[in-house]
Amino acid sequence: MTTQAAPAKTTDITVEVVYRGIFQKTLAQRICRGVVLAARRSGHPGTAFARYGDSPERNGVPAKQFAVVAVDDTQLEASMARYEPSIVDVTVAVDDTLVKGVESWAWYGRQPIWKPTKPGGVVIVTSDRTADEIIAQTDKAEKPYTLAVVPGGASFAGLWVYKDDHTDWRVMGALAKVAPEWLPLEHVKALVREQTKDEGAVASVQFGHDATVLREVKPGEGTSGHEVLQFEKPGWTTMRPGIVVDARKPGERNPFYKKYSARTQRPVVNFDTCIKCTMCWLDCPDECFEVTPTGHYEVVYEACIGCGICAQVCPVKDCIVMVDELKFEKNDNVWQRWQSDRESYNRWFEATTGVSVAPPKTKAAAAAAGGDD
Amino acid sequence: MAVDTATGHGTGTLPQIKGVKEVPYEELFVSGHRTCQGCESALVMRHMVKASGPRTIVLGSTGCMYVANTTYYTTPWVVPWMHTQLGAAGSAALGTAAGLKVLMRKGKIKDEKINVIAFCGDGGGADMGIGAISATLTHKDYNSLVLLYDNESYANTDIQLSSQTPYGAVTTFSPTGSDRRLMHTRWKKNMPGMMAAGHPESRYIAAGCAAYAVDLMNKIRRALELGGPTFVHTLDPCPKGWDYHPQYSQELGHLAVECGIWPLYEVVDGVVNLTGPTRQIAEGRKKRKPVGEYLKRQGRFAHFIQDDIDHFQAEVDKMWEEWLIPGVIPFTIPQKDTRILNIDKKRPLHAEATA
Amino acid sequence: MAVEVKAKPTAEVETEQLLTGCEAIAEAIRLADVDVMAAYPIRPYDGVMQAAAKLIANGRMDVEYIVADGEHSQFEIVKHASAVGSRVFVGSSGVGWFYAFEAIAVTAGLRLPVVAICGNRALDDPGAFGTEHNDSLAVRDLGWLLPWAETAQESLDLALMAWRVAEDKRVSLPIAIGLDGAFLTHSQQLVKVPTQAAVHAFLPKYDLGDRLLHPDNPITIAPQVDQDWLMEIRRQNDAAMRKALGVITEAHADFKRIFGRGGDDPFLDEYMTDDAEIVFFGQGTLALPMKVAIRRLRKQGHKVGLVRLKWFRPFPTEATVRSLTRFKAVGVIDRDYSFGSPFYGGVLYNEVRSALYSQAKRPTVVGFIAGLGGREIEQPMAQEIFDKTMAAGRGDLSVGDQCHWVGVRD
Repeated sequence: MTTQAAPAKTTDITVEVVYRGIFQKTLAQRICRGVVLAARRSGHPGTAFARYGDSPERNGVPAKQFAVVAVDDTQLEASMARYEPSIVDVTVAVDDTLVKGVESWAWYGRQPIWKPTKPGGVVIVTSDRTADEIIAQTDKAEKPYTLAVVPGGASFAGLWVYKDDHTDWRVMGALAKVAPEWLPLEHVKALVREQTKDEGAVASVQFGHDATVLREVKPGEGTSGHEVLQFEKPGWTTMRPGIVVDARKPGERNPFYKKYSARTQRPVVNFDTCIKCTMCWLDCPDECFEVTPTGHYEVVYEACIGCGICAQVCPVKDCIVMVDELKFEKNDNVWQRWQSDRESYNRWFEATTGVSVAPPKTKAAAAAAGGDD
Repeated sequence: MAVDTATGHGTGTLPQIKGVKEVPYEELFVSGHRTCQGCESALVMRHMVKASGPRTIVLGSTGCMYVANTTYYTTPWVVPWMHTQLGAAGSAALGTAAGLKVLMRKGKIKDEKINVIAFCGDGGGADMGIGAISATLTHKDYNSLVLLYDNESYANTDIQLSSQTPYGAVTTFSPTGSDRRLMHTRWKKNMPGMMAAGHPESRYIAAGCAAYAVDLMNKIRRALELGGPTFVHTLDPCPKGWDYHPQYSQELGHLAVECGIWPLYEVVDGVVNLTGPTRQIAEGRKKRKPVGEYLKRQGRFAHFIQDDIDHFQAEVDKMWEEWLIPGVIPFTIPQKDTRILNIDKKRPLHAEATA
Repeated sequence: MAVEVKAKPTAEVETEQLLTGCEAIAEAIRLADVDVMAAYPIRPYDGVMQAAAKLIANGRMDVEYIVADGEHSQFEIVKHASAVGSRVFVGSSGVGWFYAFEAIAVTAGLRLPVVAICGNRALDDPGAFGTEHNDSLAVRDLGWLLPWAETAQESLDLALMAWRVAEDKRVSLPIAIGLDGAFLTHSQQLVKVPTQAAVHAFLPKYDLGDRLLHPDNPITIAPQVDQDWLMEIRRQNDAAMRKALGVITEAHADFKRIFGRGGDDPFLDEYMTDDAEIVFFGQGTLALPMKVAIRRLRKQGHKVGLVRLKWFRPFPTEATVRSLTRFKAVGVIDRDYSFGSPFYGGVLYNEVRSALYSQAKRPTVVGFIAGLGGREIEQPMAQEIFDKTMAAGRGDLSVGDQCHWVGVRD
């Protein structure tokens, strides 16, 4: 989509930024504020807000912030006093693994990244991948939209220390490209120049504008491999009185919230070098690991949030490797594959993790088999 | 055999766990809770009920482990669970234990051992709820455990400082700024020490950490076995508020103990028993690591200058070199009075405590 | 403190005893076989806890009697004891009631049938011991059932009603009986104390059913909700409060049948209203001096009576309308205040007016703020209340449609 093909100027424009809770909170805030302040330079009023339902944010759990800009205050009012807009013109995903779908705090179920994007709208993704690679991991489109890929990896930072790698400025440049009538490139650059007094930041805006690749996505493009996760809400006559809900059954997992969409990486296990020390199982805060008939522990990917603790506490080098989530489509457990055909599993392990399957067991490993304290 | 509801003595159904291989496999707190990546407090919840087993009622006061875990229409709890108010963990434990006790005595329900555990965060437990917990620890006829999971801030409300937030740490109520580098300069309340020193009839008080899982589970079990009102305080590294990569939660827990900042111990019938690396440090078998190794790993201390680290180190050194009982009881006595301590050095503390 | 003496069998004959309102409630606690109660000192309610402690010390009842560290803990303790299936009792007064406010609010939200008394007392500041209804009334919107007693006998009777109604599965809401400080909590009156057998016949066992918190019934109670759920949950409480009217009517009929007391109407107690043109309307002990005034005024030929409200929540709208539309003028006497409310009236005044609003034929309603801080309602005040209500009935707008402070120094 070029500037000409940009959405005809309507009475208002809504931009949502989908991001990883806490890690990208400041980033999302800077982008949304940037949208409002840049549009102000064209005399448009605007508002920026974080979705209340995402608060308190949890590390990695998808969250959203919004920026709404309108031609005048009256038009803007329609977007005020709301938790979130039902339809947005532009969706920005600042971590490309978010295209696998969003299961947020704020609702039950998993939503395709383009769910709130209006037909013909734009989905901007920051990624080092190609548009086609991203579409291959995005839910099958039910409406046409434009995918805009901003070069650059996911920008993660802690809550107190913001790591400014210019992702915010590159995304602002991309926004100027897809919505020039609301965010003229010159206004965006002027704003960034004024805010940062840094020509490097201004250059990043220009780069984001020029290097962003646009790709039309037609209905039917994308994958149907992701789980459909939606729930009906009961009413007051059928809800149990006294604010009571059934406990989980032993051996059951919470079917209403699975958490895997919070994952940017997943642990992959080399069962050949596993010494069955149980540390991964013991220290997993999400009860992900299940023991197999062979006494190995395998990851239940539906429940894994991708924190990486298992890889850290595993005493065997490269026995558990954290791998980019976009390398996988399914959440199926893999131990069975290893069990039935170790050779092909190990080849797959090496291909996905990039590490060799069989380093010799270390002393640490042997020692750790004894226990943790 | 049922628990003696009058004395609160256990039934011997919760033996101590010897090594990870003996950790119960059954999950009573299952996956699908809405906690952060690398949430150590969620791990505490998991270990807590693993240790206590299915015949347990859990009361959860407001905080991360309420809001993040139990979102209406879903729950991760297999055991019965009920919400209680921010400052009410002590009262929830007391009311539940008293209710069960009288119903069993009157024959209105089956007389059996049912564990009652009320948990609270550092805000709910060490700030608002400390009075109720203190009161509960004096009601020796009721069997209940209050577990304080301490992530050192009101992490659920936006990471505001609590009386458990360490000196100098950044929170949303104590940001660092151009005029004031440190907004928070109060030293962390010594909760387990205070609870132990102030409640002579509580048979079990302990300080643990999920990074030492078996040690923690055994502390939970011993508390429930000894019965009466008991208290366990865990230090839970919090990737969100402490600002470190979630994969390091266990490592941060280990560092907190190895740097001597969070001593692991239990007080059994008034006998202090240091556990894990804390014992090794106290016995001189392990060298305390400098606190910088711990502080420098966390964004909440990123604004620290050397002076701050030195001050922190000096305070921790005091805990070890001046306190009457290292890391536990923060008093000392004049040199001339050492004889009034009158401790029989021949009595092995550890043997006493685990007897 | 825990008490483990077994309750001795009580004499199986109804006795008449000289008891304060507090002591009468304590007798009800004994007869109801309460399992857990939590005490904390504040006058005037705590006479109940003192009386109960004596009954326990003398082996008259078997109950877990917990002396708490504050009102918040008091109410949290019984709330949780109730959730595991214990019949509970608790209470407070004035600012103590407010100290427990968080626990009071959540107990209604949780639909737990906690039975409490509120020994009505003025709120600080300044500290004051006398009666005012603003402590009880502060919870009027939260889902607590709120009856008011007039006498020690009614205190005991209402307490027995309280467990029956609150624990009824159709209701399952907490209840706070209003007892006027001093006048009722501390004055001794002759009270008929029923037999255990009669109470057993009236009061079924407490059964939470599938809401019981117990390992045999694994449930999660009160998970966090968001805007997707709370309206439905509030609506459930609304439905429970609506059902309470019918359940109270049932319980009242059974009570009359078994104990032979309780008056004609479960919600209203009418005095000399058959031919009345003017009535006084109020709740609690102020009915007593007003009855004295009515007898005096009747001697002077005035057709005046009294309608005493027994249940403020649920508010008996139909019964109130049916009753009050029979009269020319109603003088509503509030032992409370609601600063800045419509017409600067008391709480009761505006509730009555709102109930009557849609009636084609409705009486003139005059409001009176009286007896605050426990000030006695003396006959000259009663006379002033009558005169103004009478004048309003005659259409004197200089007194009608407004509220008057009675017995206050200018």
